Amino acid sequence: MDNLEKKKISRKTLNKSFHYWFYGHLTAFSQEHMQTFGYLTSMLPIVEELYDNKEDQEKAMKTYTAFFNTEPQLGTVIVGVTASLEEARANHGNVDDTTINGLRAGLMGPIAGIGDSLVVGTLIPVILGIALGMSDGGSPLGAIFYIIVWNLLGYFGMRFAYFKGYELGDKAVGILVGAQGKAIRKAIATVGGMVVGGVAATWVTVKTSFKLTNSSGKAYLVLQDKLDSVYPGLLTALFIVLCWWLMAKKNISPIRVMLILVVIALIGVLVGFFNPGLSY
Amino acid sequence: MTISWVQASILGIFASLSSMPGMAGSTIGNYTLGRPLVGGLVCGLVLGDLKTGIAAGVAMQLVYIALVTPGGTVSADLRAVSYIGIPLAMVAIHAQGLSATSGNAADLAKSMGTLVGTVGTVLFYGTATMNLVWQHIGWRAVEKGQFKKLYLVDWGLPWISHFFFSFIPTLFMTHFGSSAVTALKTALPMDGIPMKTLFTVGALLPCVGIAILLKQIVDSPLDFIPFFVGFTFAASLGLNLVSVTVVSLIFAMISYKLDMAISTNRQVASPVSNTSMIADDEEDEDI
Repeated sequence: MDNLEKKKISRKTLNKSFHYWFYGHLTAFSQEHMQTFGYLTSMLPIVEELYDNKEDQEKAMKTYTAFFNTEPQLGTVIVGVTASLEEARANHGNVDDTTINGLRAGLMGPIAGIGDSLVVGTLIPVILGIALGMSDGGSPLGAIFYIIVWNLLGYFGMRFAYFKGYELGDKAVGILVGAQGKAIRKAIATVGGMVVGGVAATWVTVKTSFKLTNSSGKAYLVLQDKLDSVYPGLLTALFIVLCWWLMAKKNISPIRVMLILVVIALIGVLVGFFNPGLSY
Repeated sequence: MTISWVQASILGIFASLSSMPGMAGSTIGNYTLGRPLVGGLVCGLVLGDLKTGIAAGVAMQLVYIALVTPGGTVSADLRAVSYIGIPLAMVAIHAQGLSATSGNAADLAKSMGTLVGTVGTVLFYGTATMNLVWQHIGWRAVEKGQFKKLYLVDWGLPWISHFFFSFIPTLFMTHFGSSAVTALKTALPMDGIPMKTLFTVGALLPCVGIAILLKQIVDSPLDFIPFFVGFTFAASLGLNLVSVTVVSLIFAMISYKLDMAISTNRQVASPVSNTSMIADDEEDEDI
């Protein structure tokens, strides 16, 4: 086969495919087929460009009717990888739909795991944590900061993932789940852990109003002050660890944990441990 | 404070754009417009009280700081929190005569928002179920080779699902909910047990949001250390979050260098190293 006839997806089509994914990955979401339609739509321009006759197009599109679901931001890399595999198939046909689908299916789980913990579990909370501080006192600055920073990172990050995936093809897989990928994730998790600690200490305040008074009404033990002298924010930290323990170790759902907090709050209010000190 | 039909409709449109099967791409929709912090800005602008809107949004953002929806399972959908919960919380804060930036206003917002958050779950599954109809049309189109129809199925028809499960509920709940919330003031006195409990719950709820984040980061007890280091920096030393982030970068750098050094050593020691590594946190719980 001579090189002149080699098919190459144009930059324009790749851009189109990326934008279709960016906008449409979850629009037609259902519990049955999740992101499949987003995937089909974003592969359509590529398939149309690579294959001239209708029959080949239909054959190629059938590949992407298989179930697909992953974390959509990082998952963009998979769409890029399949674009490059589709190009390889159109050129010499030694890539079949089983290969493409096997790779897709094999990647969507790990990428969902990495994406959920990196993007949704670390990156977004870090930006939000910083933004919350800027919005203290009702200022719109933090919200605007979050909108700008996250959208720039999200859009260009996804774009980078798409084109990197296309460029590297199936080699992209090795990088993401390899030793370097693991080290990067661990490093980011350290940032995430510290920032989450900072967010907790800055924004969450659990305080007790429990005090003991002597006969003349003077308080001789203010529990909150004592706790603060031991470790500032001790109660907050304890409640967070309690919630973590209930969810992570006891497998209780967040909604149930919230209900448990309602019960704790009620009992706390009744015995005078909690008192928000309200009045009209 | 009341919410007019026009205001309620605008909130309805934002709810449609921001829900999980997002109508603006999940980057812009779910992860930007859907975040309570941004929702607070939008609600503040729409209802003409930016300060209360932002304050309520900030408070609620903490509870939902880590909304992860692995495999499309949700227990709360933020369209309801951001565009039904925040407006109603704003009405409640006004009705109770609380100062917008006070801690009590924040606690009230958290409780109200979380209450409405569960409504979002119903809306989420409603939208996803209705989308099955459009997918059905899509499958028929694919079978017949009418691929152009995919654009309609993926971009156009889901708006109908959102009209029924995002726009309409937001429209009615914000418009009629506001008078109900105002009426609550007379029914429940501030110094009574129910209100005291409500406010206390508001203060406790963010612990759940933070704990969900921790669940993603903490595998072994040692992983708690970065969290407590960050906590101590902010609580005892009074560092703000940008400073905490900057300090954390040095630890991240050390961690990366160490890991890379270890893995290079290992590769030298045993050339047949297994580099495949699969994240074990796929099954992360959502909120």
